[in-house]
Amino acid sequence: MQKIEAIIQPSKLDAVKDALVEAGISGITIFEARGHGRQKGHTEFYRGREYAVDLLPKVKLELVVSDEMKDKAVDAIISVARTGRIGDGKIFVSRVDEAIRIRNDERGEIAL
Amino acid sequence: MSGVTARGAYERRMAEIRGLFESNGDGLRATAARSALVDEFVLRFWSEELQADTSLGKGVAVCAIGGYGRGQLFPCSDVDLLFCVEKGMEKPAKEPIRRLSQSLWDCGLQVSPATRTPGDCERLDEDNPEFALSLLDVRRLGGDAALFSRLQDKSLAKLRSRDGRAIGEALARLTRERHAKFGDTLFHLEPNIKDSPGGLRDVNASHWLHELRSGKRLILPDGVEKGRSPQPLMHVDHLPGDRIEGGELRDAVAFLSAVRCFLHYRHERDDNILDWEAQDAAARQRIGLTGRAGSGVDAAYWMRVYFRHARVIEKRLLREAESSGLQVETPASVKRLRGSNETGFRIKAGVLELEQVSPRGLDVALEPEIVLSAFRAMAESGACLAHSAEDRIVAAIPLLSANLEEGPGLWRRLAAILTGRQAGHALRAMHSLGVLELILPEFHGIDALVIRDAYHRYTVDEHTFVLIDTLHGMAAEPAVERGKSRGRDADKGGTREPQQEMEAWRVRFGAILAELQNPALLFLAALLHDTGKGRVGESHATESARLARSVLQRLEMDAYDSSQVLRLIEMHLEMSAAIRRDIFDAETVRAFAGRVQTHELLRMLTLFTYADITAVHPDALTPWKAESLWRLYMATANQLDRSVDEERVHTRVSVGGTGFWRKDEKIARVLALLPGREMEMEHFLEGFPERYVSTRSAETMLQHFEMAQRFDEDPFQMTFHHGATQSGSVVNEVTLVTPDRPRLFAGMTAALAAWGMNVVTADAFANQAGVVVDTFRFTDTFHTLELNESERERFLSSLRDLVAGRTSVEKLLSSRRRPRRRSPRVPVETRIEFDETASTHSTLLQVITQDVPGLLRAISATLSDLGFNVEVALVDTEGETAIDVFYLTLQGRRLTAEQEKELRTALLAAIEKNSR
Repeated sequence: MQKIEAIIQPSKLDAVKDALVEAGISGITIFEARGHGRQKGHTEFYRGREYAVDLLPKVKLELVVSDEMKDKAVDAIISVARTGRIGDGKIFVSRVDEAIRIRNDERGEIAL
Repeated sequence: MSGVTARGAYERRMAEIRGLFESNGDGLRATAARSALVDEFVLRFWSEELQADTSLGKGVAVCAIGGYGRGQLFPCSDVDLLFCVEKGMEKPAKEPIRRLSQSLWDCGLQVSPATRTPGDCERLDEDNPEFALSLLDVRRLGGDAALFSRLQDKSLAKLRSRDGRAIGEALARLTRERHAKFGDTLFHLEPNIKDSPGGLRDVNASHWLHELRSGKRLILPDGVEKGRSPQPLMHVDHLPGDRIEGGELRDAVAFLSAVRCFLHYRHERDDNILDWEAQDAAARQRIGLTGRAGSGVDAAYWMRVYFRHARVIEKRLLREAESSGLQVETPASVKRLRGSNETGFRIKAGVLELEQVSPRGLDVALEPEIVLSAFRAMAESGACLAHSAEDRIVAAIPLLSANLEEGPGLWRRLAAILTGRQAGHALRAMHSLGVLELILPEFHGIDALVIRDAYHRYTVDEHTFVLIDTLHGMAAEPAVERGKSRGRDADKGGTREPQQEMEAWRVRFGAILAELQNPALLFLAALLHDTGKGRVGESHATESARLARSVLQRLEMDAYDSSQVLRLIEMHLEMSAAIRRDIFDAETVRAFAGRVQTHELLRMLTLFTYADITAVHPDALTPWKAESLWRLYMATANQLDRSVDEERVHTRVSVGGTGFWRKDEKIARVLALLPGREMEMEHFLEGFPERYVSTRSAETMLQHFEMAQRFDEDPFQMTFHHGATQSGSVVNEVTLVTPDRPRLFAGMTAALAAWGMNVVTADAFANQAGVVVDTFRFTDTFHTLELNESERERFLSSLRDLVAGRTSVEKLLSSRRRPRRRSPRVPVETRIEFDETASTHSTLLQVITQDVPGLLRAISATLSDLGFNVEVALVDTEGETAIDVFYLTLQGRRLTAEQEKELRTALLAAIEKNSR
């Protein structure tokens, strides 16, 4: 099993969810996140007042999939979240040892 | 009896009780039957103990307490037992009590046994007031009768007489804490029918308060020992109140008892949440409704029945608390009003009471003006309405309705209620008494309406009141910050506790509230924004706007204000939709700014969105959403000032080379008002900034067109509108339609300054043909126009003389009364900015400075003196900050760097001179 964590633009969330469902993946967890990568902070002016903008709103997705679904899921995310501009986000993939469904104690891929 | 046999027998009997409930739907009977059944088992096991040890016959009384003591055991409720023992009997009784409890557990009963001597029960344990409360319903099941009498007549009598007040206070506190967990409202989409306000616990609380106050003890049957089966005992039997009220309460308790039995059977545990699936099933099975034979009912209808009953219970509790001098609601801080004795009512100790007879000799409750003033006083002070006043208003509703006059007077009264800091409190009272529906029948459709989605927590009407509460709460002073050293500024987000971060956002958004020109419009839009949810239609925002239109007509609100309210309602979802898009994308911002068009609407929409999201659910507005909303607000505000000159009206646009022409929907509407003269109208509109079209109604544009047709008679066409008084200030409006000429804008501002008028907002637009439409909205510093109607004509002709050059600015200004200068509360530093990228043919000048009288005149006179032409002007005020934007040209060209430098120096000097 593989855990996929993706940091994406908030505006791409609906499209990414649709793409994942189309790829056969339905269970995801979504977090509201803030951060910056190579996009650095800057200052904005609003009607004479100054506001610092150093963290940008992002959405973080977490999903755990079977090994064979990993590439499909990653491709689905990239296909819709990519604009080619700075700030499109990142995807991290890591191995998961166990999954347990709390309701009935099912274990392994069946619990996904 | 063996454990297995006992459990089998208990389950069989429980199945019979369930069968009976499923056939007759009588929850009260089912709870009494279960209580009797448990009595039987408790006594059977106790008699087994007695047989084994006859010495237990004296010195131990077996009692039921709490709900079981009242003879009401819901299918999965715990069984609370009290073993009242003589001093010295604790030890010998310990093992038999353990065995009895074990036997009951083996039958599947959740037993909570407590062993106490009568002396233990004499005092209130402040850490456990719940036990003292459960003792108020004690009932003997068996055992030592003399000991029980002593417990009852001496110990508990002592507890009541000595600690009765403290128990009452503890009960009030527990009730407040419990209600607070539910946001102090009974209008939840998935209510807990036991614990939420208006739930079964409130029935018991009413009863206990009554008993503690009156000293009257509820006499319960003496268990099955005497061979009598206990009757269902409802607390309502012992509560005061007239027959109708008592009947309503009885029905409410019967309904909720049936629902709780239904939920226990459905969930197979003591789970009292009435979730959506349970609501559907209960409605299908007509749970709690009379005439169970009929077919199922609609879930929304069934929930309204539930809310009606819960309201009865809540009302009963509030009245009982009032009689006991206790507060079961989180107390609103009651503000003392100046002149608290107004005509027709008075406020004493936080309670508003109506007088009997009005100055006109009528019952005060029949006078709409007095009744609405009373609600205004509640909104301003947070005072509660006395229950006798509530009854009188309810009884007076039909006649109040006949006496109610609509129009501007009603709007003034409603606006005064809406802008009171405790408006939500007053509106809830008006809603529950039927006064709100009397003024706004449109509100009836969302009364206790449950609309299901994954986010909302409250019914539609309650969501509306929470939204209004939230808006008022935004104006509150910032909470004292704790742990400041750990925190970071809201700009930077990140390391703060979410609660502190949200408080910082509240304060930041709250500052926008102080900048609104007419907050009552925002509150009216808030009140009406979801009324469309009660109707079937394309979208609720459109339906709500449709309903609001008829409200605005009845209130005879002026065209500008009406359009603000309608646009807010129509657009109330757009900002939350926009923050889901890419708010850093210029196109998203441009498109949104194109929809909003004015700073005032943007401010109101931003506040509305903040409060609307907050009112959905206490956790719905996260720092993340607040930040996105703020960014969109800032970006849009910047965009609004920088795009006006570029985006111009073209009445005919070619579409993709197909040869078709399309017209903007708004333009099509204006043209429809002038059949046969469409071409002339198109010519008039051509070349105006798009903001002109999107901020004016079709009727207003038609009026401007007609004014432009009368240039032959008088080239200086002017309209004046005397605004209604709102929150103590009047905003007037004057519009000038005239062929363009130099110094027009400067002339108008000078004339307004000479008359002591303070410009709040202004805009100046011109079309391709050089027709200028300048609109100024201003307050009247000396109340000249308000006090003397004859002065209005003199004022207008003086404006006309000045722009026509028939009189000089100097002459007018020499007669000018200089208003007294207040020192600024928030000093604003002057900033002058130029932007060459905002327009292809003009230079944008933005002046941000302290708003003082005469400022606009000083700026525009400087511009004229240096020969600059004002292509577009947008004048705005935010609190004490003036933000004036001008698109300038000099001899048809953009400004050079040298000209900008010269202008900056001249403006700084003029602003400085004016501020002295």
